[in-house]
This record gives sequence, structure tokens and C-alpha cells, in this order.
Amino acid sequence: MEIIRKSTRSILKRDFKKNWFAYMLAIPVLAWFLIFCYGPMWGILIAFKDYKPLLGFSESHWVGFKHFIDFFEGPYFWRVVKNTLLLNVWGIVFGFTAPIILALLLNEIRDGLFKKTVQTLTYMPHFISIVVVCGMIHIFTADEGVVTQLLQFITGKDYSSLLGYSSFFRSIYTFSGIWQNVGWECIIYLAAMSAIDSTLYEAGEMDGIGRFGKMWHITLPQIRPVIVILFIFAVGGLMASGYEKIILLYTPMTYDTADVIASYVYRRGLRESSLSFSTAVGLFSAIVNFALLWATNKIAKRNSDVSLW
Amino acid sequence: MSKMKKRVMSLLVVSTIATMSLAACSSNNNAENAKATSDNTAEATNNAGTNNAGTKNAAANGADAAVADLGTVIRGNKTPTQEQQDEVNNTTNDSYLADMFDQKLPSNYSAYPYKKDVTLDIWIPANSNIADMNNQAVKKQMEKLTGIKANFISPPVGQEADAFTLMISSGDLPDIIMEPERYPGGFEAGVNDGAYLDLTDKMEKNAPNYTEWRNSDETRRKTTITDSGKVLGFYGIAPYSEWTWFGMLIKKEALEKTGMEVPNTIDEWHQFLLKCKEVGYSEPLNYGSTYGQIFTGIINGAFGVWDWTFLDSNGKVQWGPAQPKAKDYLATMQQWNKEGLLNKDWATADFNQRMASAISAKTAVMMDSPDTMWSYWKQQNNIDFVGALNPVLNAGDKSATTYKNFERTGRSAAISTKSKNVEAAMAWLDFAYSKKGWEMLNYGEYGKVHLIDENGKPYYPADSYVYKDPDGQPVSTALDKYRMHSWPDIRDEHNSNPLIVAEGSYSGDIRKNWTENMDTSMAEPPITFTQDEASREGELGNQLSTLRGEYFAKIISGELPVDAYDKFLKEAKQMGLDEFLSLHQAALDRYNQR
Repeated sequence: MEIIRKSTRSILKRDFKKNWFAYMLAIPVLAWFLIFCYGPMWGILIAFKDYKPLLGFSESHWVGFKHFIDFFEGPYFWRVVKNTLLLNVWGIVFGFTAPIILALLLNEIRDGLFKKTVQTLTYMPHFISIVVVCGMIHIFTADEGVVTQLLQFITGKDYSSLLGYSSFFRSIYTFSGIWQNVGWECIIYLAAMSAIDSTLYEAGEMDGIGRFGKMWHITLPQIRPVIVILFIFAVGGLMASGYEKIILLYTPMTYDTADVIASYVYRRGLRESSLSFSTAVGLFSAIVNFALLWATNKIAKRNSDVSLW
Repeated sequence: MSKMKKRVMSLLVVSTIATMSLAACSSNNNAENAKATSDNTAEATNNAGTNNAGTKNAAANGADAAVADLGTVIRGNKTPTQEQQDEVNNTTNDSYLADMFDQKLPSNYSAYPYKKDVTLDIWIPANSNIADMNNQAVKKQMEKLTGIKANFISPPVGQEADAFTLMISSGDLPDIIMEPERYPGGFEAGVNDGAYLDLTDKMEKNAPNYTEWRNSDETRRKTTITDSGKVLGFYGIAPYSEWTWFGMLIKKEALEKTGMEVPNTIDEWHQFLLKCKEVGYSEPLNYGSTYGQIFTGIINGAFGVWDWTFLDSNGKVQWGPAQPKAKDYLATMQQWNKEGLLNKDWATADFNQRMASAISAKTAVMMDSPDTMWSYWKQQNNIDFVGALNPVLNAGDKSATTYKNFERTGRSAAISTKSKNVEAAMAWLDFAYSKKGWEMLNYGEYGKVHLIDENGKPYYPADSYVYKDPDGQPVSTALDKYRMHSWPDIRDEHNSNPLIVAEGSYSGDIRKNWTENMDTSMAEPPITFTQDEASREGELGNQLSTLRGEYFAKIISGELPVDAYDKFLKEAKQMGLDEFLSLHQAALDRYNQR
């Protein structure tokens, strides 16, 4: 025991002597994590307190699980949890697969100019502010908007503004998200594809597999690690939801599909600045997210050789 | 050596990247509540260069032994000399001002110029119309007249909430805090927790003008005192209840085309809207929007189904959506919606979409603020309009609204427990409640911005800076630049808002007419809750408003039948409607005891 510890230390010492500069390079990153990620973690405690900024952290009164109980017992608890999960499930089913498909398609194109044009066009919307995007969605789905007209043409039914139908909300939310981010998210897959050894494709050619065969048997398995890791992250975000886009798009008409945890807490925050309550809800979401992340990681480990840890 | 250089360089690069990602990750995306509240003034966002409406600092600050009567030289004077301007702008002589209101404005200037050299730190949210708050014209004038220097500390626009929390938790508080009700749990909670001073015992001595003014009228006294009889801070209080600012607005041409009178009862409105549709307005009534205008008490009020809490004929608090005629209201709206009398996108339209349909040929009637529509209809598109009183159910009923301004307007201010200059801070704030303060804060500088007419009333001449800004800014910006639009003072909105008193503007007339001809007896006064009550009230209120919004919108759109209302009422009761009402009732009883 003693010997091992010593040797570890001496190994470390030696390694530090040899690679001291690499250690130096890591310092800013480590410092950043310590100061900005681990430092504020004590703040979680206010979920169990009745936090008052002036009394500060230590002086505020403990209230135990009061805020959690308030949240769990609220009449809309199940609805907002369900909506949060479902919106994210839609996001994974459609939003996660779309960039992979786009990357596969772009990868097949040999014409540089056309490829570049498509890439630029698809990743441009990523840089538009969410408020502007929501303004565009409002216009496109208004009763005389492009999307609405198209839908009327296809179905032959008469629709008013699409944002007024709760059954359309998830589609609008998800597909506008895809439109905005698909080009951006496919860059990482394209990068992974560019690293694939071209001899594999040549071998495939010899074996006489066609284009789709190559995609299925060579490209996809080669970028599988990237896909799995990103998928684990995506599942770890199932209970997370940004409220900005939701509150810009939802109305009382669509609450039953659009009201998520974050927007519900936000509305509550309008009436009273309830810092402790918001923290409690955030903590609850984070715990669920972590559990999901852990489970997904375990499954990934069991079924493939790729995992986060 | 070169290896070393390389290493230093790469270390630099890595640190830079780290700092950059740090900045990106820790930037707090604080989407401040983007609710488009219809402001009383037309919206305008642009920034003027700093403006120094500085008169030469004429040394006229000596306390005059005997105050000369300036009435004869200033009243009716259209071209005051520099000397006369200095006399008005730099001294506390107010002998030329008339008494315009039911109660006399206080004129206690004994504290000015202040005996000590003091600079006050004041936390105040920035105004996007003003480039540099510390260079605001009126602020500088106040320094001159009171002899107390003020240093404004303003957080970046849009980050007020975070900045406020940070300031409070740091414990390092300035002398004065504007908008103290931002404190979690409200103003009184801030006093109880020791952030703000309780000024009850100091008011009489250090704020004679404010004390006199708040006690000059029962409503003013009641709304500026707590349930337990404390005076916490300085509130904006008006000489009168300000006018109602939203209601039914009809395009003049729609009246001409239909040949009909301005409708009054719900049935007349129905006939009128049908006729409008006949003559070509495809969606005659612009009804509702995402920011809650579906509930304005304008149409629902006719059925007694007020938006939220109100007082019944016995003075007890009731909840509008639970009133007996709610089903009639919902059935009527469902019917109108079916007949195509409402804009198709009423459930989803945002402010810009509403304004776009307002100026289109589809719309005949808007439910909005005449000030806003003055800008969109009249000024930008030359569409004339008239205001209609809120509809009533039966001919002969009196129009009513639950909107009432209880003479409380503008801003509030508190003095922090950390202030070392409490007396000076009170004197500085108190100036705004004197007659001179009323003139300077509402009407800006004498000579360049306002003049005094024959009767001693301040007015804006045609070439006033608020109408003809040397920097070319529009009136909606100038009203913040040359005067204090929202302040803990005696706000004189009706006479001093340049948009209302502008030549030819009739939005003020419409508002005045509404206010004088509508019953406001059911309006709930500005009650206050205790800290425990406030959090429970917030929770229940949020749940009830979600429920109401959802059911009402779905019933009106026809997605649910009118009978779904029964289910709504049952759910509201299960949620705790009775508890919610009892919280309001308790707070109201305390308010009445004040």
C-alpha cells in the first residue's frame, strides 16, 4: 500500500517534471471550472431555504422541502413535466436525427461549390436571435402566412393562425428548431466523416456495395462514437427546457401542450421574485437529468464500446 | 529561448480562449419579461446624444431675504430675458405659479440650498431614451435648486432585476433606491428585512412638503401608508386620479360607411359589427392578443364578468371569471367569433400583428390605448377615430371599468439603511413635492421647455424643446429628456405630458371622457399583503390565471362548448379560489382600517 502510493507520487512527480508545460496549460481550464461551476454550487442550498438576498446565504431561514412540495402538489405539475419531456422527445426523434441525415447527404456530394452553398444556407439561421426567429414563425404561421397557406393547399381545410392549435405546437416548435440548427449541428458529423479512411470505401467498392450500402456499412459505423456521445448528451437534457422560445410562441390556447416547467416557473416569477422556488425546480430537473444521463451512459457502455465514462 | 517564447505564446492563446468561453458561458441570458405593455406613451426607442440644456450657472443661489413677487413679469411673458429665466430656474421663488388643483401644492423651501456639501448615491433603472442619466436636464436643475448633488447608478437596460438582487445581497447599498418594490416580497418586506429605513418618525421633520401633500387628501393618505400605519418611502402621487387609458376605439370612416351611431349596448355593438362586415371590414373587431387584451373588462365588464378581483355592491372582494353571467359572455363571444366579427388571429397576434391589422382595411374597431392608436392611426396613417364608452348589457346602464388610478402614479423611492445622509436624502426627495419641484419635474426648464400663461399655468409653446428638439428627437423621446416622466413626485400627467397636450391631439379628450363617464366603484384599491400572504397569493393567482386563460380562450374559439365553463368553475374552486378571495378580503379589510 505504502509502496504503491509512493510510486504513484513519484510517477506524478516525474511526469510533472517532464510535461510541466502541459500541466500549466490546464490551469486556466481547471480554474474556470472551479470558480464558475463548482464555486456557485453552494447556491443550491437556497432551494431548501426561504432565501432573502439581504440576509444572505447563511442567515436565511431553512424551510426544508417546502418549495419542492409546492411544486409537486401544484395542479399543473404533471402537465408541465409531461410537456417538457414530450417536447424534448420530439427534439430527439426528429431534431437529433436531422443533422445526421443532412451530413450523410452532404458527404455524398463531390461538387465543392454546391456543397458549400448548401452548408452556408443551412447553418446561417443558427445566428439569428431567437426573438427574431419567433417573429418569423408568427408571420409564417399567421392565417395568411406561407406555412398556413401550404397546409390549406394540402389538406383542403381552412385554418386560422397555426399557433392557436395546441395539436400543432410541438411540430412548430420542433421543426422550427430543426430549421434553425440543423446546419450548425451537422458540422461535427461532417468533421467526423472527413476523418474516415478512404481505403474503407475502396474496399467497399471492391465488394460491390452501392452508395447506400456504403453509407450504412461504412460511414455510419465509423461515426458511431460521435453519435452515441451526442445522444447521451441529448438524453441528459430531457428535462431541460429553455423558456424564451416557449413564452414567445405559446398562448393560453396552447398551454396544454406548450406549458413547460420553465415557462410555468417563469410566470410564477412574474408575480413574485421567488428565487428559492425557481432553484428548487431547477434542482429537481437537474437531478432527473443526471439520472437519465447516467442510465443512458450505462446502456451505451453495455451495448457499444462508446461511453462518457 | 524561442521554445520558451512559443510556450508563452501558446499559454496566452489558451488563456484567451478560456476567458472567451468564460465570458460566453457566464453571460446571463436575462430575458426580461418581454410583455408588450401598452405604455401610456407611444413607443419609441432611440438614443439621443447627451444634451446639455445647461443654462450658464448664474450665481443666483443666495437665499433672497424677501421673495419678490414675479407674477407680473413672468405670467403671460412669451419672450423672457435671460435674467428672468435665471430668476425662475435658479431660485425657489414660485410666486408666479397659480394653484391649479383642488388642494394647494406645498411651498416649503426652508431646507434649500442644503447646508452641507453632500453627494447622494441613487440606484435607478436607466431610461432607454436618455444616453446618460447623470446628464439629464432636470436632474441637473434639481442639483442647482436643492444644493444637493446626486450621483445616479444605473444598471444596463434589461438587467435591472439581476443588478438589483446583486446590490441587495452585497449589502453595499446606496443612499436612495428607486423602485424599492423590486425587493422579493415587496417594499414592506424590504423594510422588515432591514434593507430600507422606516421613515415614519422622520417624515414630519425632514420631508415637510411630502407630508403636507400626502395628508391633503384621504385617498393620497391611505395609499401611501401601510396597514400598520407606517410611512415607508416616497411614492409618486398625483393631484387627481389619472384617466383610464384603454377602451373601445372606432375608426371614424367606419361610422360614416355604416351610417350608424357609436354603439352602447352589447346588442347595438353586435348590429354595428355586422354592418361593418357588410360594408367591407372583413374582421371588424380586433379582439384580444397574446398579451391578455382578451381580458380588459371592456366587453366582459358589461356582463359583470371582470378580468380579475373586484368589489361587489357590498364592498366584498369577488373574482370576475366566477360571476353568474360568465356563460352569457362566453356564449356571446363564441357567437361573434363564429360570425367572423373578430380578427382571426385574436388568440395569437402579437403587438406588431395587431397594429398591422389595425391600419389595414380589415379592422374597424380596436381595443387599445388612445395614445398608442393616436400614433399608429392618426400620426402615421391619418386615420381619425373616436372613443366609445365600455359596452353595457341593458340600455340605460352606466358603463363601468375596474381600472382606477388611485392618485398613485410614477415611481417610488426608499432610503436605504446604509445611508449616511438620511436627512439630505429626504430633503432631496422632498423637493419634488414642492410647487417649484412640481413645475420643474413635470414641465422642465423655464424658457426653453415651458412658459407660464396669463393665469400662472405652465404650458409648452410651439417652439418648446419637447416639440422641436435641437437634436431632432421625436416628442416621445423628448418627454423623458427634458422632464421627469416617471418620478417620486407630484406627477401632472394630464397637463404636462407633451403627447396629450399637443396641438390637435384628442387622445387625452377620449381618456377624459371615459374617466368622467364610467363607474369605477368596483375597482379594488391598491391593497398590500403580508409576506406570507404574498407568496400564497402569487401561487394561487398564477394557477387561476392559467386556468382562466385556457378555458376562456378555448370556449370563445369554439374548441370547447360553453358548458365547459361549469368544469372550469369546479376546477377553480378545487384550486383554492375561496382561499385566494379570503386573502384579498383580509388585505382589503386592513386597507379600509388605515
